[in-house]
Amino acid sequence: MKNASVVKINKKTLFLLIAPGLMIYAFVVIVPLFTALGYSLTDWSIGPNKRFIGLKNYVELLKDKVFWTSLKNNLIIVFANVLIQMGIAFFLTVLLSSRHTKMKGFHRTVIFLPVVLSAVVVGYIWQMMYSSDYGILNALLRAVGLENLIMPWLDSPKVVIYAVTVPLIWQYLGVPLIIFMSAVQGISKEIYEVCELDGVSGIQKARYITFPLIFDSIKVAIMLSISSNMLVFTHIYVLTGGGPGTSSMVLAQYAYNTSFVSMKLGYGSAISIGIFAISFVIVILFRKLTEVRKK
Amino acid sequence: MKKRFQKTALLLAATMTVSMVTAACGSSNNLTEAGKTNTTGAVKKDAADVNSGEKIEITFMNLWAEGNTENIAVSVRAAMEKFQQENPNITIKEESIGDQSAYYTKLKTLAASNSLPDVFVCKGSELSTFAKNDLAASLDDILNGDAEWKDGYIPSSFDDLSTDGKIYGVPYSMLSTHVIYYNKQILADVGYDTFPTTWDDFTAMLGKIKEKGITPIALGNKEQWVVESCILSALGDRFTGTDWFKGIMDQSGPKFTDPEFVQALTALQKLGTSGVFNSDMNSINNDQQKTLYFNGKAAMFMEGSWAVGAIMAGPKDIAANTEVAVLPAVNGGRGDAAATSGGSGSGFAVGIKNYDAKKDAIAAFLKAISGPEYAKAISELGEPAAYVVKDYDQSNVSELAVKYSEMAAGLTFTPIYDSFLDPAVISVMNSGLQELLIGAVTPEDLAQRIQDEFDKVY
Repeated sequence: MKNASVVKINKKTLFLLIAPGLMIYAFVVIVPLFTALGYSLTDWSIGPNKRFIGLKNYVELLKDKVFWTSLKNNLIIVFANVLIQMGIAFFLTVLLSSRHTKMKGFHRTVIFLPVVLSAVVVGYIWQMMYSSDYGILNALLRAVGLENLIMPWLDSPKVVIYAVTVPLIWQYLGVPLIIFMSAVQGISKEIYEVCELDGVSGIQKARYITFPLIFDSIKVAIMLSISSNMLVFTHIYVLTGGGPGTSSMVLAQYAYNTSFVSMKLGYGSAISIGIFAISFVIVILFRKLTEVRKK
Repeated sequence: MKKRFQKTALLLAATMTVSMVTAACGSSNNLTEAGKTNTTGAVKKDAADVNSGEKIEITFMNLWAEGNTENIAVSVRAAMEKFQQENPNITIKEESIGDQSAYYTKLKTLAASNSLPDVFVCKGSELSTFAKNDLAASLDDILNGDAEWKDGYIPSSFDDLSTDGKIYGVPYSMLSTHVIYYNKQILADVGYDTFPTTWDDFTAMLGKIKEKGITPIALGNKEQWVVESCILSALGDRFTGTDWFKGIMDQSGPKFTDPEFVQALTALQKLGTSGVFNSDMNSINNDQQKTLYFNGKAAMFMEGSWAVGAIMAGPKDIAANTEVAVLPAVNGGRGDAAATSGGSGSGFAVGIKNYDAKKDAIAAFLKAISGPEYAKAISELGEPAAYVVKDYDQSNVSELAVKYSEMAAGLTFTPIYDSFLDPAVISVMNSGLQELLIGAVTPEDLAQRIQDEFDKVY
């Protein structure tokens, strides 16, 4: 009975039903994208005066050192997240799905908890932890006799980008973990039981059964991680503001600074479009690569 | 099929998140709408006279959150209330955003859609950008129409608020961005009863303080404006002299790559790399630099005259030991040592949109919140006014404020860099200074970088 009524929906009704959602999506995503594209072709600083300057902003973008430093920083963050965060998440998944682990629910909740914290709060907490005089990190190092490792973590241009990556890995560890866990639950128990009868070790189980069977979910998690880390902003804004100099500058913050601190809205739009294009290419590239792998 | 859908959905999700940045720019459209509906009622009316009894609404945007206890905020609000009572036909519609960077983000967004409020608080360099883009109204005619009012201001207080010879804002205070607040006890412990008057003596003293295990100068430059506004604006002038900076603004020859300016950067870098600042100077902010000073972990800090209030509200023993000074003369410098970077900094500016229609009401309102009565009120609270007041009650002025005003009376004010230079140049300078302090860029390269951005903008 109910199934029949579902079938009856014709195309017109269907369209009417998705129209509101589609309109909101168009208004907040598609329209701004095209207006930004329009602005990026002007020298708009602020106010009503805009002059069409063609692709000049993009030519400048290609030569802009800060833009490329920011991209490099974004890529460092993306790679660190994909490798380390996904690695830890997979390891924890294997541990948590083992029959011998106790208090699984508790562990899962604790690991997932930081995900729901505000990025500003996390930024401030880690800023205190990194503080060179009062921070817990340097105090710990001092306590275990590793004085030579003590440094102002957020003030050294070589270290700072890694220092700001750690909170990101820590905070969002729960996301891939939850995705992997639910994928593991979809694997039939019999497979593991058969393996155990054949005397397969835990590491082999993870390598030859769990990993290939949840590979699609891993791809999902990686894709989400790439797209969110290409746009990371709040943590770094709170921790360092992109400094010292531009050592921890990321693309989103550079677009923000250019638009709203330097008041170069035209060029800022060009940066945003640049971020969009690069992220798009990376996501497509990743899809192509993983498809080849599956064969 | 299902897999295919999943992939497309993912791709969409990914691009959607990516476009959020661009969406942020687009959201200004909404603000435009809101701005319009706010003011349309008033726009329709023709030029209304203050006394004609017709209702006029003036929108007033400022960065003093409701309940703000700073002297200026309290005095402006009091003046505003009085103005409301005396002019019942004028309604002041106030909007306050307490967070400075949020305030300027909103202001710039409003400017981008040409819906600036009738009256708003604005810094000099932003105001100059607004003026060049025909977003802010020149106030020359209303000021010249009331000569007694205009002449009451300290003449140089209009410098920060003028563009191309026209005045775009009225000042509400006279501040200096560079003041050294030092703990005289710590200085006495290393053998200095008065603040050093030569650069060599100054750096020698910093070395001695450092030897005692105390940070000589607390610095919190995470927000990047502190070093440029509170140190380099004064230090630069010691080396280059004020004519050099005027030449930069007139583009009559001087460049940032000139040896004098490079010397100033070199001196600053030497301070940075010799460890006279705390090692986390680029990751803490200017409130945290005061915390270091309040805890007795630092001998001094450099910030603007606005910090007087914060020190008086800080620990009593530290406040009692605090003295004020400015940087000493430098070797071979062309600038006056009895000077500090300062000026009005910010002022009240007027959006051009409804200016003609509400001119008289706006003029009266501006006079009320920055003129003689207001100036007397802030002077009695110990705040330096931009409007000259002769006799006022000094009994409530704090000791440190008196020390400051006694010192300031003997100083000339030199340009604050971020009140004059274009925001794009300032942002290159500000982030470069962070690198300079930790030795990640040479003074010559930074000077070149600033000059390149300057050439691009002007």
